[in-house]
Amino acid sequence: MSSRVEVRKSLDGAEQKPSRQARAGASASPRFSWRTKQRIKGASFTWPFVIGFAVFTLLPVVVGLGQSLFSSKTSGLGFGAATVSFAGFDNFARGLVDPVFWDSMLRVSIYAVVIVPVIQLISLTLALLIDAVKRRVANRFRLILLIPYMIPGIVAIMIWLYLYSPVVGPLRPFFGLFGVHTDFFSGSMIWVSIGNLAVWGSIGFNMLILFGALQAVPREIFDAARVDGASEFRIAMSIKVPYVRGSLVLTGLLSIIGTLQIFNEPTLFRSISPESITKDFTPSMVIYNQAFQVGNLNYAAALSIILAAVVGAASVIIYRLTNKVES
Amino acid sequence: MSTKIIKRKALSISAAVAALGLLAGCGSATAPAPAADAGPVTIDVWGWDAESTQHVVDAFNASHDKIKVNYVLQASNTATQTNFRNVMESKKDIPCFMPGIAPITTTLVNGWAQDITQYVEPIKDAYSTGAQAAAQVDGKFFGFPAGPSATFMMANKAVYDKFGLAVPKTWEDFVTVGKELKTHGVTVINLAGEDPSTLLQMSQQAGASWFAIDGDKWKVNLQDDATMKAVDIIQQLVDNDLVAHQTYKDRPALYSYFDSGQLATVPLAWWSMTGYQTNFKASLGQWQAVDVPQFKDAKQFVSSGVADPGFVPVGCEHPAAAVEYVNWASTSKDAIEAGKNQKTGSVGVPTNLADVSAYTANVVPDKIFGSQPAAEVGAVIAKAQNAAVGKFERGPDYDAWFPEMQDQWGKAMAKQITLKQAMTNVQAFIAKDLDSKGIKYEVSK
Repeated sequence: MSSRVEVRKSLDGAEQKPSRQARAGASASPRFSWRTKQRIKGASFTWPFVIGFAVFTLLPVVVGLGQSLFSSKTSGLGFGAATVSFAGFDNFARGLVDPVFWDSMLRVSIYAVVIVPVIQLISLTLALLIDAVKRRVANRFRLILLIPYMIPGIVAIMIWLYLYSPVVGPLRPFFGLFGVHTDFFSGSMIWVSIGNLAVWGSIGFNMLILFGALQAVPREIFDAARVDGASEFRIAMSIKVPYVRGSLVLTGLLSIIGTLQIFNEPTLFRSISPESITKDFTPSMVIYNQAFQVGNLNYAAALSIILAAVVGAASVIIYRLTNKVES
Repeated sequence: MSTKIIKRKALSISAAVAALGLLAGCGSATAPAPAADAGPVTIDVWGWDAESTQHVVDAFNASHDKIKVNYVLQASNTATQTNFRNVMESKKDIPCFMPGIAPITTTLVNGWAQDITQYVEPIKDAYSTGAQAAAQVDGKFFGFPAGPSATFMMANKAVYDKFGLAVPKTWEDFVTVGKELKTHGVTVINLAGEDPSTLLQMSQQAGASWFAIDGDKWKVNLQDDATMKAVDIIQQLVDNDLVAHQTYKDRPALYSYFDSGQLATVPLAWWSMTGYQTNFKASLGQWQAVDVPQFKDAKQFVSSGVADPGFVPVGCEHPAAAVEYVNWASTSKDAIEAGKNQKTGSVGVPTNLADVSAYTANVVPDKIFGSQPAAEVGAVIAKAQNAAVGKFERGPDYDAWFPEMQDQWGKAMAKQITLKQAMTNVQAFIAKDLDSKGIKYEVSK
């Protein structure tokens, strides 16, 4: 009997004294209590994540921190091995006043101010619409809207490069039908083109989170509101949206974090509009260029940490602000 | 031309060609081969060619007792570079021959390439002077001679005939003809906004020297008279709206435009002819291979093109064996047999050899040039190859300044700045970068 009975009793929440056999069993393995073992078992499910997180996130951060404290220099013609020396916080000091890096940060921040609300608004609207239709219809649309999110970023960009193409793409003639003659690759349209791609790629995920939150809203509240004569729009604005505010903060934060680190889209669009999208267009592009073109890994590591700090600070500020509003 | 794409293709093709042994049938077969290291040795040779190199290696192993080559096939050009950086960091399993992945100076600055002068010197005459120059730094061979895929032109003869114009033979005439073509809605050349390679190549052709070693320091000059000749021509083309700016990232659009009759001339290298034939429809048969235009005051015919030579990495203990293998793969008749494409039986142009005339006609596709005989097209290619400058020193920080040049070129193509200003900006960037790296230099006036 022993352990199975013990488990059942514990699950039942009984605060009975353990049986003699159980006590004997416990004394046989005195190192861990049953509860501790259960906790370890439960925690073991997280090990794959923890190991992955440690190896692919924590370890690179530690290595990056280490790299950022050194600098390497050659001499003469530059041939032969470089001399690596401890530089303290020199790389950080340089990064904090580097106009190229901070210009890119400002550029992306402005872009984020525009694009994140757009993404949020469209995602919320779609989630509300899907929440308002029958479940079978909702499931179909949910899947369709999620497809862009499932497509790898680079593939998505290649698809859109084709769609935008002024010669072979279908969008230009389509807009031409309505008298709109535009070149999606022109300097003036490049932000719109990138932004449209960002919206297309991220609304599916955001919509899913918001839709999940909407599903958790007690339905009887809607019935009560309808009895009181509230319209569906009023229900959406006064009941549903306030209920999913927490999820909106989450998706907003994720969008901000992703936008500040934008890399794939401008890197590929750079070929299309190089006069607008330079090699230092976004903070991530500055870092990439320093690491893999200029070859200054130490400085690139310092910039990466500065970028992480900025993204972290932005997240904290926005989280606090939204919490204040909520309270 | 898209530099990155061209560079990558040129790299892969020239490296493959060099290593594949598609280079036989020349006097070099009798050139004295370097002695292999004493005793039987096994060397690793890396590459990303999955078709022919293994056959060449097998043929080499079958005919040599003292050297055994192990071909390590990499997934791609990019994977080769990544894996190579890793083994150089770990100092384990370092290969004895690497196909070219960067200009030889960059390879040397990165601390990768061995001095193989003593092994290459006895066999160098088998290779063109351009190929030899591309493999040298300060008079020493740090790479194996590698020839560029030289530039020639493809002119849409139907367009020129329609408007009663002759294909220009000089760059100065190129501008004049461009102005005439513009009146008919035709552009004379495509200059992609992301790709400054035309400027590099024209500067090379004009005799520019952007980087040179002077004792223990670099001399940097991106504004010399030769460069300014190229800058002036391009600036005229841009200012007068004589050029198209089709990007190489949008290939279908690019081919469609080239094929439309709106573009009169395309600079190209031998390996890209087949791609154009495959993607052209309306203009097939209308094109004619012609010489690349010269500057009016040119004393002799020269063509442009750069090569990134293969090298023997630092840490390889058998450099003599590595050079013996590569030389055999580049010059032996057995190697050419083994390196033929297994499906088509075709061979490429061995760009590093002193004379490629025997090979060029075979690579000409059958439809794109219409009535122009393959032999005639082949002669144009051979003339370009044999007149290729080969060497164009790109300095110790090419990887750093090339993206800056792309930025500045893009702005110049968009008429935000002049090309002369762009060159000033790039030179200032180079100075700053060299300062940050501790490399000695002097900006020439």
